[in-house]
Amino acid sequence: MHIPENYLSPSTCAAFTVAMLPVWHTAVKHVREEVPREKVPLIGVAAAFSFLAMMFNIPLPGGTTGHAVCGTLIAILFGPWSATLAVSIALAIQAVFFGDGGILSLGANCFNMAFVLPFVGYYVYDVIYHRMNSNQGRLVAAGIGSYVGLNAAALLCTIEFGIQPLLFHDASGAALYCPYPLSVSIPAMMLGHLTIAGLAEVVFTVSILPFVQNAAPSFGIETSSPSKASMAPVFGLIAVLIAACPLGLIATGDAWGEWGVEDLADMVGYTPAGLGDGWEWSALMPDYAVGSLPEWIGYVISAVIGVSLLVVIFRLASSMAKPTVDFDA
Amino acid sequence: MRDIPDWLTSPEQYQPVASRDGFVTRNLLSVSSVLAFFRFGGKASPLSPSAPTKLLIMLVCILLTSLSRNFLFVLMMLAVVLVRACLLPREALARMMAGAAAAAGVTLLIMLPATLLGQPQSALTMATKAFVATGLVLTVALTTPEADLTRALRLLRVPAIAILTIDLTLRSIVRLGEAASEVLTSLRLRSVGRNPNRSTTMGGIGGMVLLKAGRAAQETHDAMRCRGFDGTYRAGSSTPPSMRDFVWLSATALLALAFLYLQGVSQ
Repeated sequence: MHIPENYLSPSTCAAFTVAMLPVWHTAVKHVREEVPREKVPLIGVAAAFSFLAMMFNIPLPGGTTGHAVCGTLIAILFGPWSATLAVSIALAIQAVFFGDGGILSLGANCFNMAFVLPFVGYYVYDVIYHRMNSNQGRLVAAGIGSYVGLNAAALLCTIEFGIQPLLFHDASGAALYCPYPLSVSIPAMMLGHLTIAGLAEVVFTVSILPFVQNAAPSFGIETSSPSKASMAPVFGLIAVLIAACPLGLIATGDAWGEWGVEDLADMVGYTPAGLGDGWEWSALMPDYAVGSLPEWIGYVISAVIGVSLLVVIFRLASSMAKPTVDFDA
Repeated sequence: MRDIPDWLTSPEQYQPVASRDGFVTRNLLSVSSVLAFFRFGGKASPLSPSAPTKLLIMLVCILLTSLSRNFLFVLMMLAVVLVRACLLPREALARMMAGAAAAAGVTLLIMLPATLLGQPQSALTMATKAFVATGLVLTVALTTPEADLTRALRLLRVPAIAILTIDLTLRSIVRLGEAASEVLTSLRLRSVGRNPNRSTTMGGIGGMVLLKAGRAAQETHDAMRCRGFDGTYRAGSSTPPSMRDFVWLSATALLALAFLYLQGVSQ
């Protein structure tokens, strides 16, 4: 679901980035006002879950791959605005350091996965949970919410891909950017997301949510102040996920719409002009790999760097949050 | 009964011209930030090795990072620095990240010609190496009490004159910074309205700090001589390395092995 560089036209990328600016601004405002200072670093830990979940690639029907995002999970624990901020920063780190998703298309990726996904997922969860109002009901609501949220984001992604050949083509009708129209992109992507990837999102959400509720009850916005000891199980789970993330390499294919330029040219018979001459960002570790060394080493080191960066960023951001002690009271 | 003088009954009309004391404020802020940096005492964490071991590990890690031809090793060191950064107290984390990011930023700027000539990877490698090296130095500085660092330097056979110079320089920076800060504050309080002699003020502050520095150096020298200081630092009995030190040294040895292996692997 990470739209790579040059698959969307610059004007589409600009439109989504402009659309995301007020969303990011509002998200920062909400987090500063609503999340207590000592809880802000925990959003970084939650963002680490999202970062790691996106590294677990799962084979999908049709030879492509997909992944979970955990956006609804973060929205349930810390609120949808916190989830927007957390997933946005996770996506930015993936784009800048690991070349996963484009820099120009970061706005579009954030719109799909950091804005639409957590909000749709959270409000579906909220409606169902208020009707069932029990612990089991909460899990059912979280599962359905995460499934709907992920598929809403995937649908938007397919539409963004699919409108490119309709809007941007040369005189001969050859696409300038993504060459697949809506009639191809929607069934190709949605089939995998409605089945396997949606299921993966549900499994991640309904397994991590009860775990953190039982093992670390202070991990969330509506709970007591966290202590270092109470967070130990959460950090343990992150360590396990880092160690297990090379499992994501078992799925060998590319995700739909994330092919290299040459692979795409082989499939459609020509290189779309915008893709061939487009701008490319030189990432620190493109595709989470370094040179000819085994991929799993690069994968684990990428996971450690990504998770640490997220924790560091949100710990630094906590100094900007509202202090818990009200000196005016 | 005497009459109240006219000048006392007339209302105060004096309106000073809006002062332009931006330069005093800026200088005051920069002096204060330098002072805050030097006053920030390092505090060892419960899992830290002893100061000499920490210093040794830092030097080995910086050396290996600088010599590494394989980018994977640099990324491994980056991961180590970032994981350690996660465990730092918030204030220390902010200082460490600010310093390391500034070093990486300056390196990227210096390497800009390489990027423009189509070699962005070398700029990234250099910036990452600068981030790792600066991050390591700052982490050690921010997690080690000053006295332990002096002792560690002596145990590592650094010449006494070098330690004395570092020690006195650090103390002098704080003392003279405080003096400069006081003069700037008094200048700001006394200066009402526009000050036409502003250009001479800087020279005055500089001269005063220089005079104080000379006097303070003489007084420190005399005081140390009076207390029997003969130019040698005694580090005290060297305590044997603890189990914790062995664990840290073993981890460093593993890093060194990874370095040797990766140097022989083509990228």
